[in-house]
Amino acid sequence: MSTVTKTVTQLHATRLAGEPGPAGEATAAAAQPQGAMIEVRHIDKTFAGKQRNASPIRILDDVSLSIADREFVSILGASGCGKSTLLRIVAGLVPHDGGEVRVAGQRVSRPVPEIGVVFQTSNMLPWLTVRQNLLLGTRLRKIPKETSEPRVSALLEMLGLAQFADHHPHELSGGMRQRASIGQILALEPKVLLMDEPFGALDALTRDNLNVELLRIWQEHRQTVLLVTHSIEEAVFLSDRVIVMSARPGKIEQEVVIDLPRPRSPQTIKQHPRYAGYIAQLSQLMGVY
Amino acid sequence: MKRIAQTIVFWGVMLALWEMAVAYFKVQSYLMPPPSAIFRAAWEVHPQMLADTWVTTVEVLTGFVAAVAGGLVIGVVISYSAFARRTLYPLVTALQSMPKIALAPLMIVWFGYGFASKLASTFLFAFFPVVVATMGGLASVARNLDEHFRALGASPWDTFWRLYLPAALPAFADGLKIAMPLAVIGAIVGEFIGSEEGLGHLIVFASAAARTDVMFAAILMVTLLAVVLYWVIERLARFVWWRGINV
Repeated sequence: MSTVTKTVTQLHATRLAGEPGPAGEATAAAAQPQGAMIEVRHIDKTFAGKQRNASPIRILDDVSLSIADREFVSILGASGCGKSTLLRIVAGLVPHDGGEVRVAGQRVSRPVPEIGVVFQTSNMLPWLTVRQNLLLGTRLRKIPKETSEPRVSALLEMLGLAQFADHHPHELSGGMRQRASIGQILALEPKVLLMDEPFGALDALTRDNLNVELLRIWQEHRQTVLLVTHSIEEAVFLSDRVIVMSARPGKIEQEVVIDLPRPRSPQTIKQHPRYAGYIAQLSQLMGVY
Repeated sequence: MKRIAQTIVFWGVMLALWEMAVAYFKVQSYLMPPPSAIFRAAWEVHPQMLADTWVTTVEVLTGFVAAVAGGLVIGVVISYSAFARRTLYPLVTALQSMPKIALAPLMIVWFGYGFASKLASTFLFAFFPVVVATMGGLASVARNLDEHFRALGASPWDTFWRLYLPAALPAFADGLKIAMPLAVIGAIVGEFIGSEEGLGHLIVFASAAARTDVMFAAILMVTLLAVVLYWVIERLARFVWWRGINV
């Protein structure tokens, strides 16, 4: 009992002043606390369209959000709401029109070493072994072998991939491949993890298992995480805070603070008295009943 | 063992039928020599034929290597440079559409009767499939991997060396499989137009001397050469096994 209380206290401590305490209370995304790890201010994005006569499409409209250091935040939205574009803008992969993105105080206009991005596809190179794939990012980022090799060995162990280290990715299951691609990013020890539906292509069972594993990893390393998902259960299970986006143009609709104790497990979380309330609230915001 | 025996027996029977058919229908030897005559002719001219085989092999291999190197470089340049795509690529396409055989006499005019014109002719035949295969391979790299490399902060050089080049290798290897038999054709065509040695020269010489049996022997030798060289490329291509694997 005491450990749970302690975790809750820690959780509150990492939260920023001005955020609401009571459970289940939704607030409009307005407060912009200073010194956040990820700071998105008044971002706009319009796609011009390739065809000459195609009318430009507004993807994001005045999006602002702020994520504290070590916070786990999910962006929840229907497909086509611009949540993946928003994540790519934060990653510096896609240029934005108006506004400003800062990560760890730095302005982001192209990919920076502080950020690691995990995509929905596993992005393993088929001609490299699992170990070589995990080392790939460290080579690209010029991390010396003496540092990267022990780090990758430890990660392989932690992710349960040690046995498959010298196999090629096509010999692994989809879930193991996705675990390996998370390992590839963790090997870079980024301060910020951006995840674009990282388990979206997997079956429900594998997905649940990997979410548990993701939480375990996050509890150990405490990166700042921004996760894009369309699964309400996934968002509630993982996050400190869930941001709901609406589509066309993509706007931040509302945000919900998930005040549930950590460490979380699928069994305990579903029995928590506030769990069902969060699910219902988010379902309503998403327009699912 | 049984499988090999089947192959040998089948072809033995075919050769025997050929031999008997030629004798039974009294076919003139200059039209269709029996297998026995072909083997006798091969033995008779074998010092000359082996020397010619060596000449042709050297022509094919040098021309092939030059075509592969040149095709790879031009394929990469056209893939990466919009300028080259506007200027060089139309020329490459035009040259590819042109029957290369029409250029062979020009190669003799420019480079003479010796090795250089055969090298040029071999190069012309083998070059374009390598260019096209290289471009196709580079264009086949999945978008998600390109984005992944950008997110990892990879330099353009690292992205080429660690992603685009290995990803293009299976298609490139397919290009080599097409280019190798074409290189053999290029060398033989070059020798047909004007030469003093090589298997192509031997065929033309045998034709002029009405030695159809020697001609058959030379044709069999060219075929053997082409098959062996193709087999080598086929073996090498197995090192790039990741064709069509998306993980």
